[in-house]
Amino acid sequence: MATSSVVETDKVVNETSDVASDRQSVLSVKDLKVVFSGFKALKGVDLEVGENEIVTIIGPNGAGKSTLLDAIVGKSPVASGHVYYHGKDITNQSPYEVARMGIGRKFQNPNVYNELSVFDNILLALKGSHGVFASIKSKLTAGKKDKIISVLDRVGLLEKGYSKVSSLSHGQKQWVEIGMVIAQDPTLVLLDEPTAGMTPDETHLTGEIIKTISQNHSVVVIEHDMEFVKQIAQRIVVLHQGEKLTEGSVNEVQSNPKVIEVYLGREQIDAA
Amino acid sequence: MAEVVGRIRQANYVPKRWLVTSLVLLVIFAVFPFVAGEFQTNLMAKLLLFGTLGVSLDLVWGFTGILSFAHGVFFTLGGYAMAYYLKLNLSATANNYGGTLPDFMVWNGLKELPWFISPLQYFPVAVIAMVVLPAGFAYLIGSFIFRSKVSGVYITVITLAISSALTTFFVSQQAYTGGTNGITDVSKLILFGATVPPIGIYFIILTFAALVMAGSWWLTQSNFGLILRSIKENEQRISYLGYDVANFKIFIWTLSAGIAGIAGGLFVPLNKFISPVYLGVAFGTQIVIWVAVGGRGTLFGPIIAAILLGQIQNSVDRITQDWQLIVGVILVIVVLFLPDGLMSLLPQKFLSKKSSQLSRSE
Repeated sequence: MATSSVVETDKVVNETSDVASDRQSVLSVKDLKVVFSGFKALKGVDLEVGENEIVTIIGPNGAGKSTLLDAIVGKSPVASGHVYYHGKDITNQSPYEVARMGIGRKFQNPNVYNELSVFDNILLALKGSHGVFASIKSKLTAGKKDKIISVLDRVGLLEKGYSKVSSLSHGQKQWVEIGMVIAQDPTLVLLDEPTAGMTPDETHLTGEIIKTISQNHSVVVIEHDMEFVKQIAQRIVVLHQGEKLTEGSVNEVQSNPKVIEVYLGREQIDAA
Repeated sequence: MAEVVGRIRQANYVPKRWLVTSLVLLVIFAVFPFVAGEFQTNLMAKLLLFGTLGVSLDLVWGFTGILSFAHGVFFTLGGYAMAYYLKLNLSATANNYGGTLPDFMVWNGLKELPWFISPLQYFPVAVIAMVVLPAGFAYLIGSFIFRSKVSGVYITVITLAISSALTTFFVSQQAYTGGTNGITDVSKLILFGATVPPIGIYFIILTFAALVMAGSWWLTQSNFGLILRSIKENEQRISYLGYDVANFKIFIWTLSAGIAGIAGGLFVPLNKFISPVYLGVAFGTQIVIWVAVGGRGTLFGPIIAAILLGQIQNSVDRITQDWQLIVGVILVIVVLFLPDGLMSLLPQKFLSKKSSQLSRSE
């Protein structure tokens, strides 16, 4: 029983990577290793993300999910292996260079500017030239305002445009950061637990926002909430102790005995 | 919802309240020397200059979050550039030794003017040097500090070290710098063939202060200013939006040092000398106090604080030598009860600090 599942999963892997190559690879992570003062956080992880695809990463705490995103955007130094973005090697580039190439990142805890207004947070993120002199000359044009209004509308924060972010709820702050990522208009969107601290309704709405984003962006999402994962997931990657355990559809992953053993636990399976 | 959209679309750039306040202040300062005596005019010129020096620190500390004790160094470098010019243009009769070589160089056995000081006898060179020397020095150390992983309090420690090191260096190079005494007995400032009277120097300083204020206001209200504020709150986050944070820090740091240098250059014709005292940590701390007492990120705050503390010092000085005690008590009170400085006593709407890119129009 166990053996047949593994064989099945392997087949799925091949199929999905075929799909990815058909779609043209946006992100390609090869044998990535990250070491923190002797601790091997990632022990050789591969990841392919195709055009307009949603890839969901799950795994228990300490599996290396956030570290994987950190390594992609240049936050955590890569010990060995490579990150390719549209075929270009971007391993260990500076975060600002990675961002300029079109990779947007939302952090685990909402990483937003509490002292600034919601509007200003989105304005900062707005796609465009980010040099010193460009920013001095830059004007708040009608076009920019409209763009910001449309982003605020999309994340449901238009009424809060003037509010300082510090006055918002945790869930709303998550949306501010999702709005920042949308404003960046990146090709590849990396979302680290976008629904943490949200009510079920908010979570569902976030799922719908992410689906809309994926119509013209590639998305990688880290999540714990299995309901949410089912809502958005196309392909799931399971990480465990710095290694990829398996990948596949929601059902395939949930029925994989290795996954059951390390991550999902009895009640999750019962619920499913 | 439509209402919010309308408000956002209408928001634009009309800083009317600020404009009126600034013009009123400018008129008051312009009338001041005709009402006050020469002593007060000179004192006010000095305090305006110190306040503007505070504004230059406010740009890097109040807006960008980089606490520096080295702004006295940039000030003094500009000051020496101007002091060499005035010293080298002392007429032969006014020079104690009858020649053109500055007295301190004669005492220290120099026979001729060193090649690296000699160009400063020309006014345009001196004026350029008073900006380029401090700004260039700031650019060098800024490129080193901000491109490295050094951050926060460690940057402040480096600025303290720079201040101490340069003090020692200037004191030790007596033949070239005048040592502990610095450069004294300088000539009066002569422009277009006429000696500039004290009131002339006052108006040059007032013009400089007004230009720095207007420029700083414009800069900090721009998108660039928003980026500075975001660097202050969280510099990592903004790099993930595609901003090269080091470039922004180096730019504002260099610009700020250039302003401090001009302030130093204008200080010399007023003060009649420059010495390593202004390189020291004590003077660097003084600048930090003006910004802290006035209010970080307020621009007007440092000027108000410099004038207020300077006038208090002037009045108390006549009664007791211990004016520093009074200033110390004021500092403690402000830190404890007004962490945002004296400017926080004004109504919120007057503060540019917390405004959104939108609300600047309201």
